[in-house]
Amino acid sequence: MTRRRLPEWFVLLLPAIIVIAAVVLIPLLFSLYSSFTPYKLTRPSTLWKWVGTYNYEKILSDAKFWAAFGRTVLFLTIVLNLELLLGLGIALMMNKVTWGQRTLRTILMFPMMFSPILVGFQFKFIFNDNIGLVNNVLQSMGFDAALPWLVDGKLAMFSIMFAEIWMSTSVFAILILAGLFAMPRDPLEAAKVDGCTPWQSFRHITLPFLMPFIYIAMTIRSLDVARAYDIVQIMTGGGPARRTELLWTLMSRTGYVDARMGLANAMGYVSIILSILFTIYFFRKLSAARAELGMAG
Amino acid sequence: MQKAKAIMGLMACSALVAAPESALAADWGDHSGVTIEAKLIGGQQYEGLYGRIAEWEAATGATVKIISKKSHFEIDKEIKSDMAAGTTNWCVGSNHSSFAPQYEGLYADLNDLVPADVVAEFVQGNIGASTVGGELLMLPRAQFDVSVLYYLKSNYEDADKAAAFKTEYGYDLAVPETWAQMKDQSIFFADPPNFYGTQYAGKDEAIVGRFYEMVVAEGGNYLDENKKPIFNSDAGQRALQWFVDLYDAKAVPAGTTSYVWDDLGQGFASGTVALNLDWPGWAGFFNDPESSKAAGNVGVAVQPMGSVTRTGWSGHHGFSVTNDCANKEAAASLVMFLTSEESQLAESAGGSLPTRSAVWEANVAAAKAGDDPFRAEALEAFAEGAKYAFAVPPIPEWGESTNIVFPELQAAIVGDKSVKEALDDAAEAVDELMRESGYY
Amino acid sequence: MDRNQSHRNRRRALKALHFTGLFLTMMIICIPGLWIVLNSFRPTVEIMAKPAIWVPSFTLEHYRAMFAGAGEGGVPVFSYFRNSLIVSVTSTLIAILIGMSGGYAFARYRFKGKNGYFVGLMLFRAVPGVALSLPLFIVFAKAGIIDTHLGLILAYVAMNVPFTIWLTDGFFRQIPRELHEAAEIDGCTRWQAFWKVEFPVARSGVASAAIFAFLTSWNEFALASQLTRSVGSKTMPVGLLDFTAEFTINWGGMCALAVLMIVPALILTFIVQKHLIAGLTFGGVKG
Repeated sequence: MTRRRLPEWFVLLLPAIIVIAAVVLIPLLFSLYSSFTPYKLTRPSTLWKWVGTYNYEKILSDAKFWAAFGRTVLFLTIVLNLELLLGLGIALMMNKVTWGQRTLRTILMFPMMFSPILVGFQFKFIFNDNIGLVNNVLQSMGFDAALPWLVDGKLAMFSIMFAEIWMSTSVFAILILAGLFAMPRDPLEAAKVDGCTPWQSFRHITLPFLMPFIYIAMTIRSLDVARAYDIVQIMTGGGPARRTELLWTLMSRTGYVDARMGLANAMGYVSIILSILFTIYFFRKLSAARAELGMAG
Repeated sequence: MQKAKAIMGLMACSALVAAPESALAADWGDHSGVTIEAKLIGGQQYEGLYGRIAEWEAATGATVKIISKKSHFEIDKEIKSDMAAGTTNWCVGSNHSSFAPQYEGLYADLNDLVPADVVAEFVQGNIGASTVGGELLMLPRAQFDVSVLYYLKSNYEDADKAAAFKTEYGYDLAVPETWAQMKDQSIFFADPPNFYGTQYAGKDEAIVGRFYEMVVAEGGNYLDENKKPIFNSDAGQRALQWFVDLYDAKAVPAGTTSYVWDDLGQGFASGTVALNLDWPGWAGFFNDPESSKAAGNVGVAVQPMGSVTRTGWSGHHGFSVTNDCANKEAAASLVMFLTSEESQLAESAGGSLPTRSAVWEANVAAAKAGDDPFRAEALEAFAEGAKYAFAVPPIPEWGESTNIVFPELQAAIVGDKSVKEALDDAAEAVDELMRESGYY
Repeated sequence: MDRNQSHRNRRRALKALHFTGLFLTMMIICIPGLWIVLNSFRPTVEIMAKPAIWVPSFTLEHYRAMFAGAGEGGVPVFSYFRNSLIVSVTSTLIAILIGMSGGYAFARYRFKGKNGYFVGLMLFRAVPGVALSLPLFIVFAKAGIIDTHLGLILAYVAMNVPFTIWLTDGFFRQIPRELHEAAEIDGCTRWQAFWKVEFPVARSGVASAAIFAFLTSWNEFALASQLTRSVGSKTMPVGLLDFTAEFTINWGGMCALAVLMIVPALILTFIVQKHLIAGLTFGGVKG
């Protein structure tokens, strides 16, 4: 055997590191650089003009940017929490099902088959105020109103959240269901003998056991929350009057339509930092929950 | 008489049938062995023309390789990405008059590649809108767009309605001539949520284009000659007020601020909208029982006027040749072929509007002679409407400015801001953009 | 007696509640999706009708048109399907191999900065596609792999490796070291020991990582729309936009293509879903 110069673990990790460096790291460095230039797609020479932190100053002093930022945080907070609660509820219900569970589980995963862009189109039509499914149902039930789902400030936020929750709750439900399957039966039965109410045993036995699964789901979801971009872009494009503008829609319009990539990349960095903070937060929670259960590797 | 008509119709048909033969006869040059890479706009109404490319290949010995075919906005994004990456050595690209000024330095001046007498055969307004800074950046294809008024005829055939309207508004109910009349009638006809007076595009460039033409119709303009925004003038406020009033009166669907063209077209086709300012491509769709519940009940009239002139925001598609193309002559030959009289006759037979004078005349004559009165009515309205057509300001910043303006227009429409506030805010932001771009 | 009665009533009520809740949930999950399937079989004028038509008629027109030639409503479905399949399957396989080797490294070796490496790899997955798409395009354009299967495969491998590492790491970790050492004592090389002992145990973890990777690649749009151009490389989500033009959306046609996208994913999920639950159970928690 030849003498290895690199440690074995590093050789094993190397392909992953190379691929990620090529596909993510290099482009990221490029966009980091370009965020310090007035880079305009249609004028490639602008890439060589250094403007320092001009782009960052511009966005950080822009009320529209901060409104989009705040709205994105609000959107993520509400959506992730609701997905968790609904996912938990669905998983608990599914766990009680004794018959046809495999089919039900496949149905449960149905939304995961849908490309986010398709989900966007789908709910754009469902929530259309004139010929959409929802208003058609309401009207045929006798409500004489065409609710402007994608226009009214609150309804529009509700609609994009609904679409996002529809698409992603399954991930939570499946992961939590996996947790319920892995759960030992004995403690629950012991609790029953001791006279605990169902709520007590859920609160003190089931839930702590599920916590790591919940945080895993949270982490997975926080990794690709930006998929919501496709949905929102198709459904409302951030409108009307910026009522559903999220960081991602603002960024893509600035970058591609206005061709101001330098500025868009500066926004991109803010959104990357946001994603990373969400991810790290849940990672920490996950480690803590694992440690509590003594499952740390 | 009847017979004469039939013969005329036949002649018109045979002119169309004869077209491909004369295409072969025309001289497109010998470009044997050349491969032309093209990026074309995809979408059903644009595809028919590409079927003709094989004829050009046969005539010249060259081959065309379509390296990208995408929808309008996707191809725009792709071309911008290409400019950024420097991957611009393909040859022919689909272009649009509203987008053309953005691609600075990408496309060649066709005045050097296309004979002047060929350029002279096009409608000169279209050539003007294809020219930026003295350079002819694209040759127009038979996809010219200017909006006219589509309406449901039954609303004007009801004596009770006419009487009720006259008592309420003091003048006779007829297809509206002015935007003020259209507002009255829209409010009069509306019965939300089952029936609406009218509707308008409510976001993106679409609403800004509509607003722009209304400002012009009211006697104002979007930018002054120094490219300074002046759309917050009195004329601009009157223009925006029209949108706001209709929205407040619930004469338009509440979702109208999220609509773009497809929603509008489908809305009118559902038979629940009385008046609809819309594009030529819809004419056939609206009157086809397969696709539209309004079929048979659709009238077409020239677009109404504001207090000064008629609206006429227009645009057209075309083809351009890149500066980095290795064989510009062959590319220009392909572009000329795709925009030739034969090609335009074939493409406009599908209902789109041509950009060559001779094809306009042929189409109008054929429609008059033909047995489709709706087609004749529509073409007449479009021919009249085209007289008032004007393009958007030919500056790279047009698209970016619309992204600044449209949320403000929406804010006024849905009541977040007053008309004046919204326009002043928008003008201030556009002013900053123009200053950053170095116009003043 | 009375107490028994009320107890039974309560149980019955709970059961009914459970059933109703489950039924409603399934309805909400299914209806928007089934609505797409339904619309793919309805004529356009009926989809857009107002007032709504509740009794659907049936037509295969959208499917017929989709498979017809260009200009008659046709889109190159077969090419899109083939591209999607090639890209998703290849990138999933590569991501699994690379991810497994990485997961193994994390599970079986001790080295400095292990946690840092781990979190670092994960964070790269958190970069939003829309922020990455243009810089990635420029880099790929310089490398000459725009509009190729290779470019897209590479991008998806990078997207899917971190999650695969995570899941497989958890699996390898719960396999006792002794098993593997025993195999080595029996004369297996480390490589043989891996395939004979560790891989079979980790199989369901790999299966669940694979299904997640496959679904991600199959449905991804933001990067694909930027990295693909011609019929030779466009995937199905990008192909959906063929049904939109400057002024119109052909909703029925789009639904028909959507059905073709969903069905393979659905079948695959149904097949592997037993492994999926098992895979997630162990992989995640013990990590």
